[in-house]
Amino acid sequence: MKSNSNWQRPAELSPDALEPSKEQPATADYAEAREIPLEMAQDVAETRIDEQPAPRNTPRRRGPIWLISGLLTLLATAVGAELYRLISWSSDLHPLLGIGLGVLTLLLIGLVTLELHRGLKGSRQLKQVQQMQHQARVLLDQRSHGNSSQLIRQLGQFYNHTPLNSELQQALQQLDSSYNDREIMLYLNRHALSQADEAAQKCVQRYSVESGVLVAFSPWASFDMLLVAWRNLRMLREIATIYGLAPGLLTQGRLLKQLLQNLAFAGASELAMEAGSALLSSSLTSGLSARAGQGLGAGLFTARTGLTAIRLCRPLPDEQQDRGMLSNIAKGIVQRLTARA
Amino acid sequence: MSLQQRLQRLARKSGLDDLSAQIRTSVERGLEQRVKLAITGLSRSGKTVFISTLAQHLLQSDQGRSLPFFCASADRRIIGARNLSLASDRPFQLQQTLADLQAAEPRWPASTDSLSEIRLALRYRRQPGLKRALGEHSTLYIDLIDYPGEWLLDLPMLEMNFQQWCQQQQALFGAEPRAQLSAEWRAQLQAVDWLAPATDEQQKQLARTFRSLLQQLREPPYSLSLLQPGRLLMPGDLEDSPLLDLFPLLAPWPDHADQAADDSLLARLQQTYDAYREQVVRPFYQDHFRHFDRQIVLVDCLKTLNQGETCFTDMQQALNTLLHSFNYGRNGLLRRLFRPRIDRVLFAATKADHVTANQHHNLDLFLQLLVESAQREIRFEQVDTRCLALASVRATTAAEARLDGQHLSCLRGQRKDNGEEIALFPGEVPVELPRPEDWSCERFRFVDFAPRPLPKGLLLPEHHIRLDQAVEYLLGDLFQ
Repeated sequence: MKSNSNWQRPAELSPDALEPSKEQPATADYAEAREIPLEMAQDVAETRIDEQPAPRNTPRRRGPIWLISGLLTLLATAVGAELYRLISWSSDLHPLLGIGLGVLTLLLIGLVTLELHRGLKGSRQLKQVQQMQHQARVLLDQRSHGNSSQLIRQLGQFYNHTPLNSELQQALQQLDSSYNDREIMLYLNRHALSQADEAAQKCVQRYSVESGVLVAFSPWASFDMLLVAWRNLRMLREIATIYGLAPGLLTQGRLLKQLLQNLAFAGASELAMEAGSALLSSSLTSGLSARAGQGLGAGLFTARTGLTAIRLCRPLPDEQQDRGMLSNIAKGIVQRLTARA
Repeated sequence: MSLQQRLQRLARKSGLDDLSAQIRTSVERGLEQRVKLAITGLSRSGKTVFISTLAQHLLQSDQGRSLPFFCASADRRIIGARNLSLASDRPFQLQQTLADLQAAEPRWPASTDSLSEIRLALRYRRQPGLKRALGEHSTLYIDLIDYPGEWLLDLPMLEMNFQQWCQQQQALFGAEPRAQLSAEWRAQLQAVDWLAPATDEQQKQLARTFRSLLQQLREPPYSLSLLQPGRLLMPGDLEDSPLLDLFPLLAPWPDHADQAADDSLLARLQQTYDAYREQVVRPFYQDHFRHFDRQIVLVDCLKTLNQGETCFTDMQQALNTLLHSFNYGRNGLLRRLFRPRIDRVLFAATKADHVTANQHHNLDLFLQLLVESAQREIRFEQVDTRCLALASVRATTAAEARLDGQHLSCLRGQRKDNGEEIALFPGEVPVELPRPEDWSCERFRFVDFAPRPLPKGLLLPEHHIRLDQAVEYLLGDLFQ
């Protein structure tokens, strides 16, 4: 019988015959206990900051960039030429008019540059926030030591020269040397951003009550959408500022994009469930008219948007934060509505 | 005797006179305003230090500083705390223990030799929610008791009669290292005629030898834990009592045991065993060890690593046997009112400050290894369990050394035995049971450190390791 089967026969080998390269040296299993002369030991600083460069952002796709920059160049040239012709035409009419228009143009260009600069800064910061959130999520699953120093350094840089810095620094100083990475994350989550969290929650509460009341009392139904959108955009901007992001249209736009994605895909079912349960469970709505009910709905929607915005702007992820907040907001809105009615 | 006096006497006898107090206790329990926390641990596992520092931290919890992971305190929801133990007959010596730890040359408290209790009242502000309807403020009473760990091992004796106990002890003493050390003593027992009349003196003599044998087994290099009866090692108020003239019959059970004379050694031992069980162990159990709501099991893992595998298996066995004496299970409302069970258990590896911070997780895992079977049984009752490395008092500071070109985290502290200051890398805590040849002082050198003085005023997070997480896990959900 020929043995051409495709499995190999079990065989016993002597341990000596194994390749030595596969084996770990026996002493590498653990580090031996030893006493160390006292003068060689230095006290550990409570937070260690390593001199490691932050990982570079991944390069963007090339195609749209070329397209967009080409279009922008064309547009800028056209606008520039048109402006030049406008100024030269008006200075032909009267020199003073030409100077006036020129100054106005310069002012406009300056403002646009500033806005662009802020917007770029804001979107860069937003990206940083996302990266930090990702790192923090990874660290929350680990019991390791010393891996969080990079994130801590990034946080420090991010909030340098902002009002949030003092609280962050205070929390960082109180970090204990025995904490592992997970505990450091939990600690910072609770103690490093509490001022900002409180301010942001207040902001969400204020805006949702406002938009709820506005919708409830707005005379035209078609006006509601605009009202809610306006309040939501204002709120978005305010929350971003609270968490230290540079305000600007570009930031706001990017944030809005992410927010809509978040609301549409991740949070849709959640939103429906929470809003529904908040409406039904509390028996709050029993005394409300249909308009007031719509107001409550709009308020809850605003609250939901606000909480998602907080989640996007906060550099440390906190899943437990918005628990119970929606029902509080619902109560607040109903109180306002019934007090006015 | 007037009718009224009779009635009063009858009421006292049947326990009716403190009925109102009992009802109040039950109602408070039902509303989760009173919690009995079982501090379980073998001797020298750090119960007394844990209780005193826990109490001190809780008493200062209104300051919101020292327990950052204990949410109620960190959120400043605790308004104030009070120590109510002075009303008890056996108050815990909190001030004394703390004074020892706060002294310029602090020392660990001596072995506990009697039972004492402490009760704390914590007034807190409720979280917004349904329970707010019961009032904005509420008070939680926390009962803790301290006792010698040796006594705990008596609890399994309640389930056994003398013959069963002897069989169990025979199995224990048949294995090393007990077998070798007790060879002479067992030979002595072989020579005794168990059925013939004997004198008190004879029994006392044998008990004394057994007692010194147990004491020998408790000390290093054996450091065993599963030593019964516990009162022989820590008699408390029973010193010189005839109840302690007790030892297991480590010879084959006599053939005609029913023909034993009334004052034979066998009959005497049986009587003493029953009396010990009924007069010593049962009251201890009934008065203090039923009706716990939460439990923390303190384990000194480093001792087992220093001492070797026999110490490890013995401690494992001891923990497994004694945890059978507790009731585990979920509590419904009615259950909580009348017969509460333990519904949350924390296994804690003490002395986390005696290893470097990067080994804490390994210490967790090693503890899990040690209590694995006990944990499995408790989980079967759908009870939450968790393992955590903690230190009630931090005796060392973290330091760093550069040795042979590599960074090494190490500890700096004062040796307990001679007070000399040392820096030490104590070795890594294994996450698996080491092989027999690995249990060597080459690999582990966990030195006992003397405590660093605690401040007389406010405590800070740097004075403990993870005590706050333990509190949050055990009690956090009660501050709703």
